[in-house]
Amino acid sequence: MTPFRPGADGITVALAPYESALLADLARQLIELLEHRAAESPADLLYAQLGIGGPADPPLDPALARLLPDAYRGDQEAASEHRQLTELSLLDRKLTNARAVIDSLAGSAELTPAQVQSWLRTLTDLRLTLAARLQIETDDDEGIGDEAMLGVYDWLGYLQGTLIELIE
Amino acid sequence: MSLTQTLDSPVVDRDLDEATEPDLPWITIVWNDPVNLQTYVSWVFRSYFGFSRQKADRLMLLVHNEGRATVASGGREEMERHVEAMHDFGLWATLAKDDA
Repeated sequence: MTPFRPGADGITVALAPYESALLADLARQLIELLEHRAAESPADLLYAQLGIGGPADPPLDPALARLLPDAYRGDQEAASEHRQLTELSLLDRKLTNARAVIDSLAGSAELTPAQVQSWLRTLTDLRLTLAARLQIETDDDEGIGDEAMLGVYDWLGYLQGTLIELIE
Repeated sequence: MSLTQTLDSPVVDRDLDEATEPDLPWITIVWNDPVNLQTYVSWVFRSYFGFSRQKADRLMLLVHNEGRATVASGGREEMERHVEAMHDFGLWATLAKDDA
């Protein structure tokens, strides 16, 4: 069964109920991970709303570090300054996308163009997170660990590839 | 192109990167990663930068083959915006002074 179909006004999600439940669960775990990072910044509320006042250092967790990479290589000062100005808003947008995926899984099966954008970004963030857990770091890595997690990683890639094919 | 094919698939493309213009001081670099699908990276380049399919595919292959590609050049603030947008998409990008 194909996971997405072209619908009247957009793209129709055609996931099996257990697949929807799995994806929503993964999106919730992603939200938890991102919220944990956001909570580490004791930012002033106003600064947080402006998206500034973020942390100076990259996350220690390899998944978060990949989701929130340094904008400068080999220039710690510039990377740190940029992170403080941008990380909270980047986190916020990633959270918004993941919540949009959960909302659309619970609501109408039809995705608006904006929801498709959220889906593509969240599917990517989920794959990056799983790849970090599976220690997929180079092109030759096949992943170490849980077979089920590897299966989920491949399935998310299938979902993303199918969705891109439909919007092309 | 297979749906599950990632950037690690062997493709030959040795073109030099034409996105770099020597008179502009900052560049946006996208780095290779083993996760993102080739179709996704090409789509990001087209939908965000407005590149043609040909140019987007060539840059995507350059990322894979050379480990990195310069996808934009210009002012520092503009490159910072591009890098942030790439991070939104989950691509691994940095900016640097163009000392090439």
